[in-house]
Amino acid sequence: MDKSVRKISRREFLGVTKAVAIGGIVAAGIAGGVSGYLARTPEVKEVTKTVAAWPPVEGLRPIKVGYVYVGPVGDYGWSYGHDRGRRWADERFKNVESFYIESVPEPEVISAIESLVAKGCELIITTSFGFMDGTAEAAGKYPDKYFVHISGYRSGAAGNAPQNMSAAFAEFYQLYYLCGLAAGAITQTGVIGYVGAYPIPEVVRHINAYILGAQYAYKKRTGKNIKAHVTWLFSWVAPEDARLAASALIDDKNCDVLNYTEDTPAVLMVAEDYQKKGRKVWSFSHYSDMRAYGPTAHLTGPVANWGPIYLDFYRMVATNTWQSVDIWSRVGDYMPWRWRQPLEKSTAGKEEGTVYLAPISPVIPNEWVNLIKQRYEEMKEYLFEPFTVEGHDPDGKEPIRDQDGNVRIGPGERADRGTLWSMDWLVEYIEEPLPK
Amino acid sequence: MSLEWVGSVLAGTTSVGVVYLLGSLGEIYAERSGILNLGLEGIMALGAATSFITTIAWGHAVAFFVAGVLGILMGLLLAFFTVSLRLNQIAVGLAITMLGSGLSGFIAFPTTRKTILRALNPELPSTALEAQSAPMLPSAPLPFLKDVPIAGPMLFNHNPVVYVSLILAPTMWFLLFRTSVGLKIRSVGENPGMADALGINVFRIRYLTCMLSGAFSAMAGAYLILGFQPFWIEGITGGRGFITLSLIILSAWSPLRAVFGSLLFGGIEVLQYRLQLFGFGAASPQFVLMLPYAIAVITLSLLSIESFRKRISAPAALAKPYYREE
Repeated sequence: MDKSVRKISRREFLGVTKAVAIGGIVAAGIAGGVSGYLARTPEVKEVTKTVAAWPPVEGLRPIKVGYVYVGPVGDYGWSYGHDRGRRWADERFKNVESFYIESVPEPEVISAIESLVAKGCELIITTSFGFMDGTAEAAGKYPDKYFVHISGYRSGAAGNAPQNMSAAFAEFYQLYYLCGLAAGAITQTGVIGYVGAYPIPEVVRHINAYILGAQYAYKKRTGKNIKAHVTWLFSWVAPEDARLAASALIDDKNCDVLNYTEDTPAVLMVAEDYQKKGRKVWSFSHYSDMRAYGPTAHLTGPVANWGPIYLDFYRMVATNTWQSVDIWSRVGDYMPWRWRQPLEKSTAGKEEGTVYLAPISPVIPNEWVNLIKQRYEEMKEYLFEPFTVEGHDPDGKEPIRDQDGNVRIGPGERADRGTLWSMDWLVEYIEEPLPK
Repeated sequence: MSLEWVGSVLAGTTSVGVVYLLGSLGEIYAERSGILNLGLEGIMALGAATSFITTIAWGHAVAFFVAGVLGILMGLLLAFFTVSLRLNQIAVGLAITMLGSGLSGFIAFPTTRKTILRALNPELPSTALEAQSAPMLPSAPLPFLKDVPIAGPMLFNHNPVVYVSLILAPTMWFLLFRTSVGLKIRSVGENPGMADALGINVFRIRYLTCMLSGAFSAMAGAYLILGFQPFWIEGITGGRGFITLSLIILSAWSPLRAVFGSLLFGGIEVLQYRLQLFGFGAASPQFVLMLPYAIAVITLSLLSIESFRKRISAPAALAKPYYREE
């Protein structure tokens, strides 16, 4: 049925072609073999193709979809996650041909979109924040094509882009809060750490959510406040740096539970190394289930499946029911129904919807696993939000303060989307300032 | 700053620094003989990719061997174009860097990698085929020595490749500066015409140093993924090849000083994150993160100044092709 063909990636293609170009002379020897191979490599890869007959659904025409990725799909991180979502949606939709271009530098998004349009794609999905303006421009240029941009704020629905452009994001802060509960439940030192990619609102609210969860659990467990440390990589994919940063948090600050925003399992692997040496250090999955990289050190972690979001857009396009939307998918979204489950039937740690928890480690004491499950289930029905006094303080009294002691969220308040979307302050328990 | 903290920083420094040290040892020989191997970064990436795959299939020892052989082949390629065809070394080097980086991404891509792994060792379990990380070199702490404060964690609590590299540095310094082979290599890099007239085979020497440089660069890549950070990503070298080139200048083409240069760059890398946690530049850590690259850019630019090259006694014939007839 589906036939996946992997060919040489664009980056590799460019790398090798440049090599051939510069060493025009150099090429004599190498190029014979290499360029012969490359000559038949198209830049846009056709990845799925419907071969067998799929019963034609009335009014549902076959569609072509193009994806633009910022990184290589072969790694473990962000683009890999989107490619997994693409395959998930393709598998279920069946009557679709999808294409992708990987490792596209952000300024080159328009030419990437153009080559996908030339391939006949009518739905184009761009998956990096930096692609936002280029995507909006292309949406203006191709009014009869449909565009979805991931992780930005421009869409027809928001009123700052053409109507044929939608925005979507799978949001993690709730899951980071649950990771925080696990951290607060298991830390022995009372000090936890975070390896951050960039000090941008998305990462900042994930850090804050994680620390708030840890403070809640640790305070309830011991009556003391949690201490937290953050280091910054200024990179999304940097396993060597993440490794050094994680060791610094452990060795210098005595952190024993580390969370992170970095596209590889490097931090989890460091925690596993320490476990092997007999020091109890714990960490999490990030974007996909990474248990294999830290079987002992793994607690749980935020996981995303972009597939349901993509499938939704496939349907809209194929049934001619497009409407520009601005999707911010959280726990409970893209599930058959929004209803919390009783503890014994909780689906925390199982795959569902677009954002869910990686399997929960049995090392977390039972009462805390139950709390994680309870909160997860309550979030499905909007009964619980991390950025509230109830999420921060077990007694439900202490407001959420920033590092300067200013009250940011008081009793009865709940951070709204605008607050979360533009968060530029760290909670009081973190010792390092937020880089400006 | 306790003794333990210093020890832990220095331990990290050594384990990062050896990447640079291995790369620079071979490259110093090449540059001393007049060959600038700008392909170092690409050969390093290729070495990392091949050793990542062969380690899973056959284990660590074979992985270093395969990486070394592949590095020698890349060195031969470099030598063929720069020594025999006398092409511009900068252009050839950059081409090799791009070729190496591209090929490394290609062979280590999950689907290609699986095919290669199945071909190399059909008995591998599926977890090994799927794994995106290499099994790391086992640590081999030296008894008693490892408990010495500071020097213990810094030098005697690592994997065997670290020890071998640290022994290789003085050995290669001795070979280069105290033996007739070393004298030949250096004279070829200073004045190839004169060396030729004295009966030294300039071409053979340069071919050999190219191969040596290739082998060491590839093994630096192998160490990077097997000894320091085992998770494979495309572009795993992250500019370390170019940083190696600049630290060779800092160490004025001496294998012994290269030990200190490597540890300096390794130390900067480790300290970036340690310093953030001590509040040093915490409000704008990007400046600290920039340091290794800034130093690399500065030293590489300095090299282009003629008077500076003379002062640090750069090999006079560096990056110049040799024509016998002229």
